[in-house]
Amino acid sequence: MEPNTHNKSRIYTGILVANLISLVIVGFSKYLMDNMENNKMGSGSGIFVYSSFIIVPILMGLVCAWYWHPLQLKTSRYIGWSAVASVIAILASYIFLREGFICLIIVSPLIFGFVVTGALVGRIIYRRKNNTLNMSLFGLIFILIAADNFSEHENIKMVSDTIVVNAPIDKVWPLVVEYDPITLKENYWLFEIGMPSPVQSTVDGHEVGAGRKCIFSNGYVFDEKMVVYKPNEELTFDIISQPHDPEIMGHIDILRGQFILKDNGDGTTTLIGNSWYKLYVFPAWYFNMWSESITRNVHLRVMEHIKILSEENV
Amino acid sequence: MFNLVVKYASPLKHVPVLPHVFDALLKIGTLLSNRNLVDFIDDIENEVLSWAQTSVHVHKFGGTQFNLYDKELGHIHGNGLLDILFSRKTKSELMLKYPVKEHHVFKDSGWISFQVKTEADKKIAIQLLRYAYLAAQKSKFAA
Repeated sequence: MEPNTHNKSRIYTGILVANLISLVIVGFSKYLMDNMENNKMGSGSGIFVYSSFIIVPILMGLVCAWYWHPLQLKTSRYIGWSAVASVIAILASYIFLREGFICLIIVSPLIFGFVVTGALVGRIIYRRKNNTLNMSLFGLIFILIAADNFSEHENIKMVSDTIVVNAPIDKVWPLVVEYDPITLKENYWLFEIGMPSPVQSTVDGHEVGAGRKCIFSNGYVFDEKMVVYKPNEELTFDIISQPHDPEIMGHIDILRGQFILKDNGDGTTTLIGNSWYKLYVFPAWYFNMWSESITRNVHLRVMEHIKILSEENV
Repeated sequence: MFNLVVKYASPLKHVPVLPHVFDALLKIGTLLSNRNLVDFIDDIENEVLSWAQTSVHVHKFGGTQFNLYDKELGHIHGNGLLDILFSRKTKSELMLKYPVKEHHVFKDSGWISFQVKTEADKKIAIQLLRYAYLAAQKSKFAA
């Protein structure tokens, strides 16, 4: 059955109710997690648990299907209207949860995929008029959301990158510690669409305990403290304060950075960049893909810059 | 894509919800590549549901499962791959008569697989399911 004007109101109602329910659950869940964890992040940040990006979108799809199933829509319509419901959910996150544009690009495939899954599963389930099963399903989902909110969430990862610099180690080391502004053209698509990228690093001393600042393209500053300072060998620094905004940095804490230099004995130097970060968004398997990619591109942008400057000085 | 996932990521089918997500993604992919096929799957579903005592369920490994009473007749995945269980004897007969293949996983069984792509395939799929339906009905009443 194709939707006429009368039936369309049922489709819109499904989308509206699904979005209202998801907004309430995600908003409450975010509030709960921010308070429970008593985390050190700023007020604009927060933890998003598995349920926010998996269970709630599935629930949204199921709620939509609950309203749509009497219309006997085709599967293609279910997918199309699920896309509309997903876009509205993403816009609502932008408006009400103050999520950033890049964050929303990152979560969009996840939300769309799970909303469609919920809608298509619901489409089949509701064809059998088994109200006990249907209500049990909603009950189970609410239990899963509650269990997820009260579970421990911890995800610390390390990303490592290596490049070879065609310059001796004593030419590379000073540029690892501090470097002039990066003028390289952005070549990572997230940087190109507005995500802040590293620009410059400055220091206020050359010993353990000295401060270091990593400045980003939008003026963000990461305050760092050197914890290992071994000239021509290793620089390790802890991040002592960092900006939080609605974009990626509101959902990740960079904990520590490290550069390790190795003399290759042939006038070249192997430069290794390591970063440790703590992620506040779940599921980790999905967001780690993104955070690894972003961290890697931050590393490579800095390390390529160091490589160019070092090789110019040879 | 479907074959690669089935071949190399088979254990993941036991992860709750994942097979259904995979099937939903298959349907999205099918919708983008061959919209008619998604409609054909709907047509097959509606046709089977018009037969007495049939019902549809979510298949445990993703897809739409067709049942007669509580017994599975077969299931169709989001890419139009139809799997039906017959006796080995019936399977051999059908493989001579219809363009069906060994099941994409369980080769040494009564399961057959048939890929729906066109309107003509849809009719064959319905015939095969009808065959399974009548056989299941016969065996139920014989028992």
